[in-house]
Amino acid sequence: MPKKILRVLYTLLSLGIPGLGQAALGDVRRGIYIFLGAFILAGLSVFTAAQRARFPEQVYGLSAAALLRLGLASLVIFLVVRWVYTMLTRRLAQDEFTQRIAEGLFVALVVVLFSLVGPSLIQRLLPEEALKQLYTTLLLGMAVVLAWLWWWNARDAWNLAGQQETNWNGFIALVMVGTVILGTRIVGIDLPKAIREYRETGRILGDILWPWRAAFDYKATELRATAKIQAPCPPGSTPPPVNEPTEEGPWVVVEPTCGELSTRDEKGKLTYGTLLHIRGGGFVPGKKVKIKWENPIGNEFTPRGLGPTEIRVGPDGTFTSELYIPDVVIPTFAKGPQIHKLHVVQPGALKFTGKLSREMKLALQAMLESIMIGLMATFAGMLFAVPLSFLAARNLMFTLRTSPQGLVGGVLGLAAGGWVGWQASQRVALWLGGLEKAPVAVAFFGFLLVGGGALLGFRLLGWALDRLSQHLPGWANAAIRYGGFALIGAAMGWPLGLGYAHGILGIVWDPEEVAAAAGDIARIGAGLGALAWGYLAYRWGNSGFVPIGQWVYTVTRLILNVVRSIEPLIWGLVGVIWVGLGPFAGFIALTIHTIAALGKLYSEAIESIHPGPIEAIQSTGANRLQTIMFAVLPQVLPHFTAFSLYRWDINVRMSTVIGLVGGGGIGFLLIQWIRQVQYEHAGLAVWLIAITVSTLDFISASVRKRLV
Amino acid sequence: MLRVEHLTKVYENGTVALRDVSFTVEEGEFLVIIGLSGSGKSTLLRCINRLIEPTEGRIIWNDIDITALDEAGLRRVRREIGFVFQEFNLVERLPVILNVLAGRLGYVNPWWSVLYYFPKGEHQRALAALETVGLADKAHNRASDLSGGQKQRVGIARAIIQEPKLLLADEPVASLDPVLAHSIMGYLERLNQEKGVTILCSLHYLDLVQRYATRVIGLREGRIVYEGTREDIRRMTDEEFKQIYGEEAQRLGG
Ligand SMILES: Nc1ncnc2c1ncn2[C@@H]1O[C@H](COP(=O)(O)OP(=O)(O)OP(=O)(O)O)[C@@H](O)[C@H]1O
Ligand SMILES: [Mg+2]
Repeated sequence: MPKKILRVLYTLLSLGIPGLGQAALGDVRRGIYIFLGAFILAGLSVFTAAQRARFPEQVYGLSAAALLRLGLASLVIFLVVRWVYTMLTRRLAQDEFTQRIAEGLFVALVVVLFSLVGPSLIQRLLPEEALKQLYTTLLLGMAVVLAWLWWWNARDAWNLAGQQETNWNGFIALVMVGTVILGTRIVGIDLPKAIREYRETGRILGDILWPWRAAFDYKATELRATAKIQAPCPPGSTPPPVNEPTEEGPWVVVEPTCGELSTRDEKGKLTYGTLLHIRGGGFVPGKKVKIKWENPIGNEFTPRGLGPTEIRVGPDGTFTSELYIPDVVIPTFAKGPQIHKLHVVQPGALKFTGKLSREMKLALQAMLESIMIGLMATFAGMLFAVPLSFLAARNLMFTLRTSPQGLVGGVLGLAAGGWVGWQASQRVALWLGGLEKAPVAVAFFGFLLVGGGALLGFRLLGWALDRLSQHLPGWANAAIRYGGFALIGAAMGWPLGLGYAHGILGIVWDPEEVAAAAGDIARIGAGLGALAWGYLAYRWGNSGFVPIGQWVYTVTRLILNVVRSIEPLIWGLVGVIWVGLGPFAGFIALTIHTIAALGKLYSEAIESIHPGPIEAIQSTGANRLQTIMFAVLPQVLPHFTAFSLYRWDINVRMSTVIGLVGGGGIGFLLIQWIRQVQYEHAGLAVWLIAITVSTLDFISASVRKRLV
Repeated sequence: MLRVEHLTKVYENGTVALRDVSFTVEEGEFLVIIGLSGSGKSTLLRCINRLIEPTEGRIIWNDIDITALDEAGLRRVRREIGFVFQEFNLVERLPVILNVLAGRLGYVNPWWSVLYYFPKGEHQRALAALETVGLADKAHNRASDLSGGQKQRVGIARAIIQEPKLLLADEPVASLDPVLAHSIMGYLERLNQEKGVTILCSLHYLDLVQRYATRVIGLREGRIVYEGTREDIRRMTDEEFKQIYGEEAQRLGG
């Protein structure tokens, strides 16, 4: 077959299914990439466009059909434009530079063209329903991208078949543009909205950016004058005297000083009482005064519907007004005439008192709490991270080996010692009065006894069996090895089997079925474990060494990595569930994360030390602990200090946000104020955080610079 | 008496550093090991106190099979074997005195020692050892503040304080200038002659070999290719030396 026809054939293949031509030409990987790129983009377009509908899953078909339609239309338009463009530029663009410019112009042309004809294209081509239920603009954009991709893919197959140079540029550019279009929709990026709402935001942001008025207390200076009025006014009673105007300060004169209350019947109808004539003076001219009524038990309120309660003061500082005596509910025990008060109040300027406001004090206190959470979490984290880091240091652990017999003895001793320790701790707990009465002591002795017992058993039995094996004949050693390893394997396989039954099968099976089968599955697990460990026993042979240090290293590293990759905020949730809201929860969260993070940093510091001093110290007959104290610790101490400081810095920063999930500290206050729309106070918190964090950052950076 | 029998070391990456090496060192000998770079000198010395685990063969020292010892046994043997390194391997951040006292770690109470506490007697011993190498006044300096030659003298003091019966020295003077080299070798010779310490030392310079060795073995590609007595070495010409040693060999004087 002539080459030309083959070339066309491959191109057609790619036109049918993107990437197929390339795959058929032998570049399977290229084909798969192209196919996946196109497929994923198209799928995401259909999916995302449908999200506008109330029930998206019902309009996927509609969405796909719409994309296809728009796609085909775009392809036609695109190819026509491309053809016209090629015709026009064929003669014009000779050198590469002009070609590049022409390409750029072409892209711009396509974009402009589609944004012009786009709306009418959508209106013409899509059914009413699609216009209502789908993001049609998104679909059009993606249709253009996909059409273009289709064409690029055909061109690519054509070039590949003709053994011409190919590249990924067009593909990558198109996929990126498609991703950006999709991302804009998915993230809900809405530029017009952002612009529309900036004013309101500006006001609130102002509160947050410069909240310092809220940091202090202000005294409201007000002018106030009071008159006494008696009600009711039976004959023979002596009403309070009428006030006299005074020379200085505000005054009010009310006449008469004795009268009847207004009353309200059951239907709420008002019967007016005595009308009071009010004259006042000595107030700030031009500003309003407020009339307030104080009943005999000292409650102040603004009377409603009985006369003006806000009066503007005249230029000479005086005013006049009238008011019916309000309908005051008098307690039943208060029979007879009572003294009421009429206040005239004029609010004045706010006066700076120099005292911190309540909120500022709260914020400062919470900030201190945050700093302390960070500090304490760093200390506690260091405490655990230091020993862990030695277990996670490759250079220290990889030299740790034991004989298979030693391992068997060690594991048996671990179990036996742990069990004995557990028994002992039960006794001690009983003697101490139980977990309820002395939780710390019980937990402490529990850990001490179980851990100590396990460790002791591990060392003793491990050592004993190791020594013993040197005097035993080969077959006895083999028996220990196979028997012991099988036992270890079974002990590990049993819980794994149970876990599989409850954890994996439990998802799909009926709980009763799981319960019935769990025992058998655990036995199978134990059997498989024994077999696997039997194989290990075979592999290490009689004289072989078990790289136990390597195992410890791997497991420690794994745990550290997993714990570290979980965000402190999530550990914060754990802490809140564990000990409830408050700083303690935040402390627990940060401590856990710090242990993992510092553990890793420390162990890397250990791994980077010079091995020479270790060898030298070992050569003197030093044991492991001595070697660590003399050869390792002096080398890593400056690094440890630097890392700890660095972590403190991070912890304080984290402790300011750990409050968002209830972990105490200033974040707790911040989120409360934000929820209560007290942006000025929230601004205070933000400022305090910023000041503290940057100060600490500066300090710890300069100290660290001096250290390392 | 140290007996090395059929010692073979294959590193994890497959490098065969020693092949079937056997020799005997009598008490009080000053045995010098020569050989090209990469011929296995360091590997051999490190195998003897098991800083490196031998792959095959045995090392018998005064009827103890070092290769068969468990950790505790190994520590007990190591404390009687001093080791002097080419790069000194001091703990740079610790004071000189602690670097020397580290030589007693195998003898003292381990629990006290990890708190950097040593009994008074040990301190005196350390100061005496520093006196021997002429560094008593530097006892409380940081090891990192010393010059190369001083560091190696601290290294020797650390070995002396172990009261070793055997001293392994891996090119102890390779990173020092000629004058210092002689003074360092002088300390080793005194240990050998006055205290009767058996010394195994790898060296690069022919004149040092001729001056200090009582016996020489030559290694090439992990095999012993030469064994000679004191007289053999004295008679040895540069050409012969170069045959074992390769063209790198030179006299200290240049
Ligand atoms: N840790 C190691 N892992 C793998 N191969 C090693 C290791 N240490 C040394 N070797 C190799 O073993 C061989 C012998 O090395 P060794 O250090 O014993 O030589 P040497 O005679 O001391 O050399 P030099 O005079 O340079 O110190 C060399 O080929 C070296 O590359
Ligand atoms: Mg060497």
